[in-house]
Amino acid sequence: MRVGRKLRATVEITYLEAVTAALRDALREDERVFLLGEDIGVFGGAFGATKGLLEEFGPERVLDTPISEEGFVGAAVGAAWMGERPVVELQFADFATCALDQLLTVAAKTHWRSGLPLPLVVRMPSGGGVRGGPFHAASPEGLFAGQPGLKVVCPATVEDAYGLTRSAIDDPDPVLVFEHKALYRRLRGPLPPPSLRTPLGRARLAREGADATVVAYGACVWTALEAVERLGADVEVLDLRTVWPFDAEAILRSLTKTSRLLVLQEAARSTGAAGLVLSLVARLGFESLDAPPALHAPPDTPVPFAPELEDAYLPSVESTAAELERLLAY
Amino acid sequence: MTREQRLELLRLMLLQRQFEDRVLALYRQGRIAGSVYTGRGQEAVAAAAGLALGPDDVVCPLNRELACHFAKGVTVEEAFRNFLGRADGPTRGRDGNMHFGVPARGVFPLVSMLGNLVPVTVGAALAFKRRGEPRVALTFLGEGAFSVGDTHEGLNLAGVWQVPAVFVLQSNGYSYSTPAARQMVNTNLAERITGGWSIPAERVDGTDALATFAACRAAIERARSGGGPQAVEALTLRIHGHAAHDDARYVPAELRAAYADRDPVARLEERLRLDGVGSEELGALRERVRTTVEQGLLEAEASPAPDPAELEDGVWAAPLEKPDRAL
Ligand SMILES: Cc1ncc(C[n+]2csc(CCOP(=O)(O)OP(=O)(O)O)c2C)c(N)n1
Ligand SMILES: [Mg+2]
Repeated sequence: MRVGRKLRATVEITYLEAVTAALRDALREDERVFLLGEDIGVFGGAFGATKGLLEEFGPERVLDTPISEEGFVGAAVGAAWMGERPVVELQFADFATCALDQLLTVAAKTHWRSGLPLPLVVRMPSGGGVRGGPFHAASPEGLFAGQPGLKVVCPATVEDAYGLTRSAIDDPDPVLVFEHKALYRRLRGPLPPPSLRTPLGRARLAREGADATVVAYGACVWTALEAVERLGADVEVLDLRTVWPFDAEAILRSLTKTSRLLVLQEAARSTGAAGLVLSLVARLGFESLDAPPALHAPPDTPVPFAPELEDAYLPSVESTAAELERLLAY
Repeated sequence: MTREQRLELLRLMLLQRQFEDRVLALYRQGRIAGSVYTGRGQEAVAAAAGLALGPDDVVCPLNRELACHFAKGVTVEEAFRNFLGRADGPTRGRDGNMHFGVPARGVFPLVSMLGNLVPVTVGAALAFKRRGEPRVALTFLGEGAFSVGDTHEGLNLAGVWQVPAVFVLQSNGYSYSTPAARQMVNTNLAERITGGWSIPAERVDGTDALATFAACRAAIERARSGGGPQAVEALTLRIHGHAAHDDARYVPAELRAAYADRDPVARLEERLRLDGVGSEELGALRERVRTTVEQGLLEAEASPAPDPAELEDGVWAAPLEKPDRAL
């Protein structure tokens, strides 16, 4: 979208368009930035996140790759070594497993071992609600959360889809961006100014409250907000934004106020960020608690396909509200 | 190749040979922890490829290529500091032995997982191509590494993108205890690279330092001048076991018997004698290398041990706006 500065704020865009805008602005401002991934050129990416960018920036900066996640993530590492700012798109977050060695072995450990920064970004559509089944609906952020040397962000808003992506590209470390598929076309908001950055490692207070805290990220932030609204409860909702390394202080600060915690996530209950948050709270937030911390997350299975199964699997507004009621009544 | 270049090639090979002999002795004395790998029998490949690179070219060496580090300007002290795990070494004691690199000299820190550095090399070469810089990225591979998926993905990308990457294959007949024929059906790697990825690949006797240098230089210059990715397959010997703990008894006696005749260091010295380099000059070179190694060791041994209090520094390239140590 080519719009003047003044007009820009009045343009309404989707979460997906915010990602595109962030990529476009980064490409315009910094010639070291280039994109690589499967079908991101002519086709504009499986979800359309790179639509129009090939036309504006050409095939040298919007690079279609063979189907080789390990190969092109490794190539991004090599380009970052040479001072470029590669931004990789994985077609689905599920395919992050195909690039695990480059992410966990090479990208994550290199700076600590050698002092060489590797400023690369890997963006990927994650999450369920689109009937993707076991291979196209996963939330695998938990594989990476807690890994020294890798940063993990999960934007929940249009503003953060822009701001976190820009911050990830600016950042000297490898950053994984888990975009939420179900938010791509559902959320709308003003087009952020090109200067907007969402600081990494900082949570956002999505809603203030006094009686409990819901810690969530990605699409679950909206589930939490709706559940609180439905109950008419005085509950705080903390959007983690950065899942690793996360904003421990913000969580503990909120708990000193509310004394009750619900962790809400779309990743299966023994994965995701929940274990890390609960471990933190058990160790450092114990004194603040008036109730055992609660966890609302899918069971420990892959994401199922059939609508009846997936709807039951994912945390819903209803199931979250019920969970919150139990917590508040404890 | 000038006389000076030939002598430099020999110097680099001797440096690796004598450095590794010293390291093995230290290891047996219990003065080096962990494990020790050498490239005995393969020094010509490491030195030739390293010497054929230009000052702005970059490289991802593996286990058996210390001479390549030295060719790129890594010092003997730096290498010893890594083997000894010292605070001022290239990995500050965080990694050991030849698991290091010196990014400031264009050397990527070695990653153990074989194959990983093939796509990384291709990515560095992609950066050169994008910027129109006349630079080359090079990496080494053994037969074992050739069985790993990353290697295939990287070679394929190099071909599709036509980047200035050079792959130097060390065909030493073994991967740890596994002979090449149990690693793959067709052990002619040059043939497979040419046929499979349409990447030109020359096969060369890797114990002949001059021939190896010529092949590496030609490949590097073809890549530099827009010829796309290139490969060289060097047929070598792994004279030692896989690592210091391995006596390589699984290597048949006939093959062991061939080592003496094909020692690349002895072969290059012989060749230089034919070129008129006197025994005195060769002896003086050996002595100079010995002094460099001993002095480097002394300096490295005087280096401080790493401080556990600093262990968490450098997990992140730059501090987060609000670092959190409570976790
Ligand atoms: C992916 C992977 N698996 C296993 C190892 C352990 N390992 C290190 S070197 C090696 C043998 C490598 O053989 P080759 O590639 O022929 O190189 P050479 O040792 O002969 O130089 C093995 C099995 C490793 N480093 N990486
Ligand atoms: Mg081998």
